[in-house]
Amino acid sequence: MSKDGSSFFYPTLLSEAAKWAQKNSLWPMPFGTSCCGIEMMSTLSSTYDLSRFGAEVVRFSPRQADMLIVAGTITTKMAPVLRTIYDQMLEPKWVIAMGACSSSGGIFDTYSVLQGIDEIMPVDVYVPGCPPIPEGLIHAIMHLQTKIEKGMDRKPAERPTHDDALNAMSYRKGVGFDIKADFTVTQDYVKQQQELKAKQELK
Amino acid sequence: MAAHVQDPHQLKDFYNPNVLINLGPSHPAMHGTLRVMCRVNGETIEDANCEIGYLHRAIEKLGEEKTYHQWMVYTDRLNYCSALNNNIAYAMAVENVMNISITERCMYIRVMCMELARIIDHIICVAINALDLGAMTVFWLLYHWREEAYTMIESMCGMRLTTTYARIGGMSYDLPDNLRQRMWKFCEELPRALDEVEGLLTSNRIWIDRTRGVGVVSKEDALKYSITGPCLRASGVDHDLRRDRPYYIYPELDFDVVVGSNGDVYDRYLVRLEEMRQSVRILKQVNDKMPNGPLWVNDKRVQIPEKLDVYNKMEVLIHHFKIFMEGIDVPKGEAFTCVEGPNGELGFYIVSRGGPKAWRMRVKSPSFMLFQNFEASVKGGKIPDAVAHLGSVNIIAGELDR
Amino acid sequence: MTTSIAPKADYLKAQDLLGKRLNEKYGTDRKVEFDKLNEPVIWAKSPEDAKMLFRSFMLDESSKMDFLSDITAYDNKDREDGPKRFVLVYQQYSTTLHVRVRIKCLLDENEQALTLTDLFNGANWLEREVFDMFGISFKGHPNMRRILMDERFSGHPLRKEYPIKQREPFKDNIAFHLGANPKEIDTSITESEEK
Repeated sequence: MSKDGSSFFYPTLLSEAAKWAQKNSLWPMPFGTSCCGIEMMSTLSSTYDLSRFGAEVVRFSPRQADMLIVAGTITTKMAPVLRTIYDQMLEPKWVIAMGACSSSGGIFDTYSVLQGIDEIMPVDVYVPGCPPIPEGLIHAIMHLQTKIEKGMDRKPAERPTHDDALNAMSYRKGVGFDIKADFTVTQDYVKQQQELKAKQELK
Repeated sequence: MAAHVQDPHQLKDFYNPNVLINLGPSHPAMHGTLRVMCRVNGETIEDANCEIGYLHRAIEKLGEEKTYHQWMVYTDRLNYCSALNNNIAYAMAVENVMNISITERCMYIRVMCMELARIIDHIICVAINALDLGAMTVFWLLYHWREEAYTMIESMCGMRLTTTYARIGGMSYDLPDNLRQRMWKFCEELPRALDEVEGLLTSNRIWIDRTRGVGVVSKEDALKYSITGPCLRASGVDHDLRRDRPYYIYPELDFDVVVGSNGDVYDRYLVRLEEMRQSVRILKQVNDKMPNGPLWVNDKRVQIPEKLDVYNKMEVLIHHFKIFMEGIDVPKGEAFTCVEGPNGELGFYIVSRGGPKAWRMRVKSPSFMLFQNFEASVKGGKIPDAVAHLGSVNIIAGELDR
Repeated sequence: MTTSIAPKADYLKAQDLLGKRLNEKYGTDRKVEFDKLNEPVIWAKSPEDAKMLFRSFMLDESSKMDFLSDITAYDNKDREDGPKRFVLVYQQYSTTLHVRVRIKCLLDENEQALTLTDLFNGANWLEREVFDMFGISFKGHPNMRRILMDERFSGHPLRKEYPIKQREPFKDNIAFHLGANPKEIDTSITESEEK
């Protein structure tokens, strides 16, 4: 402690320090497909600067990003690409569904459009708008920062399993269709399978 | 002795020239959701196969499900960089099928919107092309002007990007009072920003080396692949629908058509910059000559009544209800209306069998033909050249896949 | 780079002349109509006739059509335009005379049309799109497979009986699209589902 009473140390919990670091340096992985992508570019440019919020590094590399901003319509042809990018991101990761199309399919209720990306991945923040104005996206990121501050652990039961995610793409009801995931699995998939097995054994 | 003699079969794989590189649907240089699968030898692309359809949203099928007014919303999402142009082209297409001619003030406003849309689309193309090749300053510089244009568009119709401004027979709102001064100021200041961009890029050694002679599309190839717009003009074909098949007030306006000579990326960049200056010239003339008068055509089939009347008079309320709930009744017939959009010839082919919904709503998009040409002309070049070429061709995925 | 001063083009007269000439030359055995914009629409008798007309418009002095604007189709399910199921539409334009002409051709469900890729390279993807959306295949096309929909999709969406919200399940795993060799994709055409 120095003479005037101010301290050089800020005592806090490690998890709180980690949360502060994470929420103020959210590196985005922009996944812009259509019109919302243009508004995302506007947010990233000089008038509504997103790098004020720590989102300076816009490298289109999922391995180096924390936050996936899905801006635009996701079609059934694009869905496996998006899921692969989500899987390639490292924990902890957050997903923002920007715009009406990625939240719920938007104005396109057709044979080729995914009715919301929460059919294939868990979403943290939904931003309404078609497209949302840049201030809307900034509001969403600030909301995400509050969410990170308040609690980092999301309950694993809220996330769909890998099998659920793949079966969501075959959503013609009554087909009786089961897709087995035979590509490389992630750690949380293994954990989920173990938990499911444990639950079944308990019964 | 035999230890350091490598197995020749292993080395054969090492020297295999056929490497597949996938510039996939999620890539920083891919403007939207395109996929170019290249077979490369070193860095030279020997064969390219493009895949599209990652943004196919069934807009044409929706044209058969929704009424004409409801479908106006989907036209914004076609070429979302210049949404005003698509709205107006569609409104013009339906008015052609119904044989409606709009008022003079409406024509001036529509031409003003179309030229503004052309400016903002060219700004995006030049800015993103420069960004891909490393010139980030141009991106920050030009994006400020896009925001200025957005503020003006927001004051006109309430929305920045997906405007839905045009209506069949008129426009949804009249111009605000202070738009004339703002437009005048915009027209004064934008050419100075374009001069700055020219100073940064046009005689820049690096820019010239990266763009001159790259992505050359010859005149014959351009016509064989049916490309239109600035890319066709940069290849040397003197074709502009605003001058050759004029619509609205273009015969009375004074503007030049910009034609290039080589058909490479450098020429396309120059053509776009000069077209922006010509659009500013048109905007100034339209701004000066804007007439006062009625905005809506006096046709009871399409004229949307005033809100005050809708709230106070019974017959007007019923009329308003019928226009929006049932839809307008378009007579039997068909028409193919083409407009010179910022990216090329945007066409709407509407087949109507009577009734409030179209029988077939076909959108002829310029980006489709441009991307086909890209697939053919990228062979033989290098990967960085392909990136420069793609940036200059301005593929908008919403228009490509519809 | 040059700039040219805008001459006032007189395309309406050329359009009228073209309409009259089409009526004289072809009006006897083929139907020649005029649409809402007064552009001529000529009905061909068969797909071969359509290609012959297309080629003759390219060479004819009064039309000089050197530009292919569009190839599309529409579903004639209620048989209002003729006895067959589909109507194939070719749209041509002349960059010198600035006139347009439309060639229409009636097709049955399993009838093949002729490809225009030997005349215009730009017809390649346009015909692929017509095949994808309607199921009309083109004889002589080098690469007749789906372009907008997934390759494994069965069904042709723009047909009138295809419900707009009907989706199809994914049968393969995710690794299919990424890095797969395009020449190894199975391009056999599956039967269309009609529900």
